[in-house]
Amino acid sequence: MSAAAVRSSTAGRRSRPLSQRVFPHVITGVMIALALLWLAPVLWAIDTAVKAEPDTIKIPATWAIPHLTFSAFSTDFSASDIGRWYINSAIVSLLVTVFTVITASMAGYALSRQRFRGQNLLYGAILAGIMIPPQALMVPLFREFQAIHGLNTYWALVLPQVPSPVAVFIFKKFFDGQPPELDQAARMDGASWWTCYRRIALPLSRSAVAAVSIFTFVWTWNNFLWPFLSSTNTPMMTIPVGLGTVIPGEGITNALVMASAILGALPLVVVFLFGQRQIVEGVAGTGLK
Amino acid sequence: MSELTLKGLTKRYDDGTLAVDGLDLEIGDGEMMILVGPSGCGKTTALRMIAGLEEITDGELWLDDQMVNELAPKSRDMAMVFQNYALYPHMTVRQNMSFGLEQAKLEKGEIARRVAEAAATLDLTEHLDRKPAQLSGGQRQRVAMGRAIVREPKAFLMDEPLSNLDAKLRTQMRTELARIQGDLGTTTVYVTHDQIEAMTLGDRVAVMSAGVLQQVGSPQELYARPENLFVAGFMGSPAINLLPARVEGESLQTPIGEVPLDGRLRDALGRAERRDGVVVGLRPEHLLDDGLNGHGGNGGGVTFTGDVTVLEAMGAEYYAYLELPEHTAVGEMAGMDRTTAAEAGVDPVARRDSGQLVARLPLDSRVRERGPITLRFDPARLHVFDPHSGRRLTDPDR
Repeated sequence: MSAAAVRSSTAGRRSRPLSQRVFPHVITGVMIALALLWLAPVLWAIDTAVKAEPDTIKIPATWAIPHLTFSAFSTDFSASDIGRWYINSAIVSLLVTVFTVITASMAGYALSRQRFRGQNLLYGAILAGIMIPPQALMVPLFREFQAIHGLNTYWALVLPQVPSPVAVFIFKKFFDGQPPELDQAARMDGASWWTCYRRIALPLSRSAVAAVSIFTFVWTWNNFLWPFLSSTNTPMMTIPVGLGTVIPGEGITNALVMASAILGALPLVVVFLFGQRQIVEGVAGTGLK
Repeated sequence: MSELTLKGLTKRYDDGTLAVDGLDLEIGDGEMMILVGPSGCGKTTALRMIAGLEEITDGELWLDDQMVNELAPKSRDMAMVFQNYALYPHMTVRQNMSFGLEQAKLEKGEIARRVAEAAATLDLTEHLDRKPAQLSGGQRQRVAMGRAIVREPKAFLMDEPLSNLDAKLRTQMRTELARIQGDLGTTTVYVTHDQIEAMTLGDRVAVMSAGVLQQVGSPQELYARPENLFVAGFMGSPAINLLPARVEGESLQTPIGEVPLDGRLRDALGRAERRDGVVVGLRPEHLLDDGLNGHGGNGGGVTFTGDVTVLEAMGAEYYAYLELPEHTAVGEMAGMDRTTAAEAGVDPVARRDSGQLVARLPLDSRVRERGPITLRFDPARLHVFDPHSGRRLTDPDR
């Protein structure tokens, strides 16, 4: 850069009003403060998990770790079937995610592209499903699976978690935003509706697929109530349910509770690290949080 | 290659809107038929009905000797080029062009051969492995063409395929398109709102307005013998001058002079519903600078003098705009206000209500802006229209 150019760029910076120069720093400061606020409980959980149980109830509470120990983690591993629960959670979360993406995207595509009698009514009924709290469905679902002797099976853990009105809504809105000419061109090219969906619409919906997949995976991984009700056999439990059984009903178990919570959340951290970009895009694109 | 026949093709939407009203059209084998008209005239809807993308409310659509009303788009063996090209953005040019052939379950070798051939014709060979986003507008347009060509369909359907290109590229692609269609000899229905495209590309042109077919004919026929006011006003740029006129004794009084009634005009007026008022039309190139020799200057015909308000130098010629000394709005004569005229699809008529006249003059004319000029016209060039029906009254059988 020539001296003249440097001078002119310095002059340009100086000529910017004070508010414009300070504002970015203020924003950065606020963001750091918010990040610390969000991070503090996570750090506290880790801090607690690596303390000896008696140290976790000292008053005043302190970040200091008098005796670093991983005994809470080893209790989780030794006193439980945690490996099996991880596998169960992974199988259930993956199956629910795959089935949800397939069924919701197909439903969203049909609602977006096809015209049929009762379409609006059907869409309204699906959306109304958002307003029904999942807890309200637990008893009927439990009785149904009990009646067909389906409890303590993967089907019991997976199928009730698949229907997702929100996912249908996201996919429909996404397909609505795709130019209809793409489908029409494919149909003119001889493609069936199925081919239009599979070869054109779906590959162009990667961000919607990513958003729905990540949210569904996280939601299913963390889901406690239905897996708790439908899997009473220890080998069929998922991580949140299984870890709950490790914690004894009495005594001081703060470190154990925190260690269990960290072990349960660890795979989600991995998911987040790998899918960061899609998660951010998904949140921005779908308005979900 | 095949023939397309539209018999009373009608499209009425659920809300009652009549988009296409009884369209009758025969498109010959290998013919390039242009559907032209202003926005909302129903030309794209008609094309989409032919494609099978829009349900036909009434009428029949025949492809050769088969009625195809109920056939799905994929079963009609037609290829369509969309206004926005509709290229599959996640596929390469090669995959875009192969897609239709894969659906037809052609052998891989045959697909590769056809794609390579079409790419060579369209100068796309070096772009085959690129995605549409990496191509320029003109290249994307050619890929869209390529996707249609490789299918070797019975008919091409084109929905304003050049409208997204800049003016220079549009002219270039227009020539290219005419060449390709000529070489392939595939029956083509081409929709455009651009009358220059219609005039230059079409074997025949079908002019539509408000869902109704106004006239079908060769470009020259439409220009020289428009069947009604709408066609007269729509075809030609600058648009035809439409002026109110009334019969007084043995002459026709127009704002640009008194035209003696000869046999042709007398016959025309005899066909008018009412003789008190008609509309006359005169193409801008038929107004001649009376001061020029070699262009029939000082010859016969009707002369008048007016002040040039605006002069546009077009390079090869001038467009001179003159204010009319007196005028009655043509739309008014036809009993229409401006909105009605526009809704009825005769907006070119409404446009000409400004009392302005335009003449195309050669560069050696001594015309000056804000100066007077004497123009001359041959009464034989006048078109006479009935203001109520809009029908042309002169030379009905020619």
